[in-house]
Amino acid sequence: MKFTYIVIVIALALVLRVFVSQRRRRDRQAASAEHDGTPAAPVVVAAARRSGFTTGAHLGSVGLVARREVLERVRGRIFRVGTIIILLVVGAAILIPKIHSNSTSPPQQVAVVGAPNPALTQVVKYSGKQSQTPVRVVSEPNVAAAESALRSGALDVAIVNGDKIIVNQPIAANSSSDTASLVQVLAPELGVLHAYQQAGLSVPQIEHVAQARAVPVQSLQTNKVRGVTKGTSVIGVVLIFLMLTQYNTWILMGVMQEKASRVVEVLLAAVRPAQLLGGKVLGIGLVAMGQALLIVGFAFAVSKAVGSDLLHGTGPVLLLSDLVWLLLGYSFYCWLYAAAGSTAERQDQVQTLALPLSIPILIAYVYSITVASSGNPGLLFKVLAYLPPTAPFAMPVLVGLSLVAWWQFLISIALSVAGTAVMAWFATGIYRRAVLRSGQRVSLRDLRGRPRQRPPTPAADLV
Amino acid sequence: MGELLELEGLRRTYGSLVALDDLSFTVPSGQVVGFLGPNGAGKTTTMRAIFGLTDLDAGVVRWNGTPVGRAQWKRFGYMPEERGLYPGMLVGDQVEYLGRLHGMSPNDAASATHKWLEQLNIADRAMSKVEALSHGNQQRVQLAAALVHEPDLLVLDEPLAGLDPTGIDAIGRVLVDQARAGCCVLISSHQLDLVEDLCEQVVIIDHGRLIVTGSVDDLASHGARRLVVRVEGDRTAVWAEAIPGVSVSEVSAGEARLVLDDDVDSDVVLRAAMAAGRVTQFTFERRRLSEVFREAVQ
Repeated sequence: MKFTYIVIVIALALVLRVFVSQRRRRDRQAASAEHDGTPAAPVVVAAARRSGFTTGAHLGSVGLVARREVLERVRGRIFRVGTIIILLVVGAAILIPKIHSNSTSPPQQVAVVGAPNPALTQVVKYSGKQSQTPVRVVSEPNVAAAESALRSGALDVAIVNGDKIIVNQPIAANSSSDTASLVQVLAPELGVLHAYQQAGLSVPQIEHVAQARAVPVQSLQTNKVRGVTKGTSVIGVVLIFLMLTQYNTWILMGVMQEKASRVVEVLLAAVRPAQLLGGKVLGIGLVAMGQALLIVGFAFAVSKAVGSDLLHGTGPVLLLSDLVWLLLGYSFYCWLYAAAGSTAERQDQVQTLALPLSIPILIAYVYSITVASSGNPGLLFKVLAYLPPTAPFAMPVLVGLSLVAWWQFLISIALSVAGTAVMAWFATGIYRRAVLRSGQRVSLRDLRGRPRQRPPTPAADLV
Repeated sequence: MGELLELEGLRRTYGSLVALDDLSFTVPSGQVVGFLGPNGAGKTTTMRAIFGLTDLDAGVVRWNGTPVGRAQWKRFGYMPEERGLYPGMLVGDQVEYLGRLHGMSPNDAASATHKWLEQLNIADRAMSKVEALSHGNQQRVQLAAALVHEPDLLVLDEPLAGLDPTGIDAIGRVLVDQARAGCCVLISSHQLDLVEDLCEQVVIIDHGRLIVTGSVDDLASHGARRLVVRVEGDRTAVWAEAIPGVSVSEVSAGEARLVLDDDVDSDVVLRAAMAAGRVTQFTFERRRLSEVFREAVQ
């Protein structure tokens, strides 16, 4: 049943691929028909269907710019291949732990040499449970038979007289095999049992003592952080980091390339700088959120199909929180990267710019991964969860640790939105001044001061 | 009454460099106006100023008497010197997109794109990426992008640079047609012979200042008389240098171009030429635009 879902997901992807291919083929045929002299009206329709720029008139210039960004990005091979790779990684991250947990090793064959001993059998079973190793207790008539069975592999462990354990291969101290795990628990337990017998306890008394279990420890705070949630939290932070880095780079490169190719001059002759920048940010943001939703939806579908623990506990809430903070993180940083892109017009200049811009992201990312793994945020981390540059990483971790109330979450969102507004205003100003300046990279000193004379002229240039 | 672009008192400085210095001229509709000047004269800055792409220290650009703004720019078409196209975008999409940005409806943009690509003989490349096109075809796409929204004013920075004769003919024909249809057309170019063929009027600037403006005919017929003389076997025109009031403007492929002062009798020149050898050509010539340009900027 669970694999039915996987088959459905793969089938849907194939259908989508075939649909896109057929549509392209139709469009090419339509384009060929244009050149063969097909009447004008069908040509218009074909051209309209081809380009995708025929809808969304109500969106205005910002919508048109955004639409172009979406279409061009989604058509790009890098985007499609990148999305498939991310989906494969996410699928593997869900499937591999599940497959690992489902893999059942055969029970350890433990032989008791001599007459059956209920207390001994109970200790063996208890040790198996403690070492998370399935066990099966058998009896062997004598030591020779037991050793023979050990050598042939029919037995894993033999207990002689209740005071000696025989195994076929020596057990290394750091071994993690099932036999080693069992023996590491069984040996001291047998020692205790042997001591009870030496002390002259009766069999019922020994059984009674053997059943002794540690008393429960109760804490005042409920421990809600389970391993699964911790894993989801780490995966979420990694995804936010990867996607923020990718989309910010798109913005940086996109703005730089528009400037370098001088297409920005043609565009700014028709639209305002804020419209052009806003459309670019919106378009890439839509692609980002579409890709993120696809990944999260895929993660949910695969989790449900294989019965992963991802959907249990706070996992879904955490994933939704990750989506929210991916959006807020993108909204904050995209303006900064756009402004930086407008000051450069060469690849090497972009690389020089990208490093300092990525420092706060890197710091927040590493710190958040550390905290998500340890589950122990300090005061500094909690403060970072409210600062717009670091909140996209820190706040989802606190959500995963169940250490924030809803109103704290909302306060952090409000601060992030306010920070984004300030950043957008600041970045648009830089973009307006820098994007038409050609030649050397524009320095911050060049951008100081108000634009001279006669707005709405957008920027200064060089001859 | 035709439409009119007016540039009045434009001034733009970059530190100590004066890019535009009280520059004023007009571009009337119905004709192609050539915008000339040596490198660094301020042509590109002027063209950018028309679209508000550069800040001005002083001056104003008017369209039909009104200072230009966003509404006017939507009705202008611009082709920058360093071509402005998305290299990885399909040609048809690109032209259509720019039409939409200038306010065209989806269907109008699609049909206008088709029309201009056909007219510029690149319809078969509509589904190609711009970067896959030759320089000449990219230039045609750029022109289609400037024309797609049927602008009232066309401002083209070096539209003929790097084109083969076929491309020059195709683009030149389109520009003249646009002007005849009532559009204001302003083009910059260093190919002065082509400008002379295409333009009815020229504006020559240098160091950001207006040097000369007027119709090509007036400028060509103005000034000293010019003679083209070919003397068989002569490559130096030394014989002409000896005549008072005559200067040798150029000697090329056996043709000597002479500039005559007002009081020089052309018969004197003819006799001197005949004395130097057999005269195979002796014709009066208008000033060429290149000569007007050189004189203006020297």
